[in-house]
Amino acid sequence: MFAYIVRRMLHMLLVVFVISLIIFFSIRLTGDPVSVMFSTGEASKEAIEAVRANLGLDKPLPVQYAIFIKGLLTFDFGESFRSGMPVTTLIMERAWATLSLALGGIVVAILIAFPVGILSAVKRGSGVDFFGRIFSLVGISFPNFWLGIMLILVFAVYLQWLPASGFDSFQHLILPSITLGMILSGILARLVRSSMLEVLNQQYISTAKSKGISEWSVIMKHGFRNALLPTVTFLGLQFGSLLGGTVIVEQVFSWPGIGTLIIDAINQRDYPVIQGGVIFLAIIMVVVNLLVDLSYTLIDPRIKTGKEA
Amino acid sequence: MDIKLLEVVNLKVGVNQDNKEIPIVNGISFHLNKGETLGIVGESGCGKSMTSLALMGLLPPGVDWQSGDIILEDMHFKNFKNKDWRSVRGKKISMIFQEPMSSLNPVYTVADQIMEIVLNHENVSKRQARVRALEMLKLVGIPRPEQVLDEYPHQLSGGMRQRIMIAIALACNPEILIADEPTTALDVTIQAQILELMKEIQEKLHMSIVLITHDLGVVAEMCDRVMVMYAGEIVEKAKVVDLFDSPKHPYTQGLLESLPDINKQMEYLSSIPGIVPAPGNMPIGCKFSPRCPFVHDRCSVNPPLFDTPEGTKVKCWLYEEASVKKEAVL
Repeated sequence: MFAYIVRRMLHMLLVVFVISLIIFFSIRLTGDPVSVMFSTGEASKEAIEAVRANLGLDKPLPVQYAIFIKGLLTFDFGESFRSGMPVTTLIMERAWATLSLALGGIVVAILIAFPVGILSAVKRGSGVDFFGRIFSLVGISFPNFWLGIMLILVFAVYLQWLPASGFDSFQHLILPSITLGMILSGILARLVRSSMLEVLNQQYISTAKSKGISEWSVIMKHGFRNALLPTVTFLGLQFGSLLGGTVIVEQVFSWPGIGTLIIDAINQRDYPVIQGGVIFLAIIMVVVNLLVDLSYTLIDPRIKTGKEA
Repeated sequence: MDIKLLEVVNLKVGVNQDNKEIPIVNGISFHLNKGETLGIVGESGCGKSMTSLALMGLLPPGVDWQSGDIILEDMHFKNFKNKDWRSVRGKKISMIFQEPMSSLNPVYTVADQIMEIVLNHENVSKRQARVRALEMLKLVGIPRPEQVLDEYPHQLSGGMRQRIMIAIALACNPEILIADEPTTALDVTIQAQILELMKEIQEKLHMSIVLITHDLGVVAEMCDRVMVMYAGEIVEKAKVVDLFDSPKHPYTQGLLESLPDINKQMEYLSSIPGIVPAPGNMPIGCKFSPRCPFVHDRCSVNPPLFDTPEGTKVKCWLYEEASVKKEAVL
C-alpha cells in the first residue's frame, strides 16, 4: 500500500510537470501581455521595453521557464502582471470559495440523485421510475445559468430567504450549490439507476432475499454497496471538472472562484496567474484521483493496490 | 413412516398479459415428506425453477401467483404477506442456486454472509453468530475454517463457494432445502463431492431436500422420489427406482433414452424431436402430443394423472385402462 502511494506520487509529479510545460508554452502563443497593457499605443518604445524587462519577459523562453519551475517548487508563482499581488495569495483567497462550491454541488447532487436513482431502479417501470427518468432528463438539459437566475428570482428576490450573491456565509453557498448540484444530479441519478439495475439482477441479490432479510437491507446493504463503485469514479472525475468549470455559475452568483480568476487572467494575458491557477487545479485534480483510487480498495475487496493482489 | 411436511395444492403461477393468464406452472400438486429428497426433472423452461421460486415467495417481477396453495405445518402460503415470507425464508425453507461463482456477495466476508442470516432469524449476539458461522464451515467441510471466515468470496474456488452457500442456507437449521441445479456449474469431481456433502448433512440434520435438476444421473444418485415436469405440468411422479426401471410417460422414456448407455455401441444419442412449447403458445390437449411417438385421437384432450399398477402416477391416456383395472380390483 505504501509503495503504491509513493509510486502514485511520482506519477503525479510527472503529470504536473507535463502540465506546466503545456500551460507555460501555450499561453505564450496567445500574444504579448505588454501590448494588452499599452493598447492605446501612446507609450514610447523604451517604456514598453522597460516594462517587459521588469516583468522578466525579455529573457529567453527557457530561462523564463526555469524561473517558473523554480518558483513552482516553493509554491511561488510570482506576482500578477495586473495587480502586482502574489499569485499564491490570489489563489488561496479563492481556493476555499472554489472548493466549498464544488463540494456543495456534489453534496446536493448526492442528496438528490442517490434516492432518485435507487428508487427508480427498485420500482423499475413504475410511476416513480418515470418521474425519476424525467427528472434526470430535465436535470441534464437545464442550462445552469438559467437555473441559477430562476433560483435567485424565487429565493432571493421574491421570498427573500437567501442572499443572491457573494461569499460570506453558509447561506451564500446554498443557491449556487443547488444550481451546480441539480445539473450534476441528472447525470448521477441515471448512473445510479443503471448501476443499481445491473446489481439487482445479480444472483447474490436472490441469495440475500432467500435469507429472509428486509427488502431495505437487500437493496442498500447488498445492492447499493455494489453499485457504489462506478458512482464514486464518476463523482471523482466530476469533482475535478467542477473546480475549474463553474465559471458560469460563479458569474451568476458573483462567486469569487478560481475559474473566474483564470478566465479574467486569460483575458488580460496575466501569465503568472494563469500558470498558478492551472497548476493549482491540476494538483487538486491528481490528488482527488488518487483518493478515488484508494477509496476503491475500501469499497471493493477484490481491488487491491500494487503487489498485494 | 412417511410424514408429510409440505404440500403443494393445484399451484398455478404465470404472467398476466392483456388480461389473459398465461400459466408457466399450470396447476401442479405434490407433497414432500420429512427427511426425503424429491427430485424435479425437466428441460429448461418446463417450470421447475418457477416452482422452486414460488416455494420461497421469490417469483420474479411480472410473474404472479395465480391460484392454489402451499401448506407447510399450519401455514398457508397463499395468504402470506411480505413479513410472513421473510419469517419462512432462510428459517423454514432455504435455497441454494446454480451459480456458486455469483451467488455470494463480493464485498462481504464469508463470516458476514453467514452471520447475517443467523442474526436475522435468531436472537443471538454477534459473537454467538460468529461461533455458529465457524461451526457451519466445519459442517460443510471447509479446510482451515478459521481463516476462511474472514476471507472474501473471490479468494475461494467454485466448489468452496457452493459449500459456503450450503453453510448459509443451513445456518438456521431449516426443514427444507431447495437446491436449484446445485452442481450444474461445477466440474465433475466437485459435483460428486457437493452431492455427497448434501446427503451427509441431510442425514445429520433430518431435513428434506427439493432437488431441481435436468441431470438424471444426479437424480439417480440423490433422490427418493422424482417428478418429471413438462410445459408447466407434472407428467410423471414415481419412486426413483420405478422411474428408471419402467418409465411410463413417453416424455420420460424419451429422456431416459437420450442418456448414453455404456453397454451399447451408439453412433448418435437419441433425442426427442421438437422443442418445449412456449407459455402462451401451448398445444391443445396433451402438451407433449406434438412431440409424442404414440400420439392418437384421445390426445386432443389433456389427460389427468392416472395411477399405474406400480403405484406411480402418469399423465398419459395410454395408462387409462391400467388405471381403470386397478380401480375395478379395489
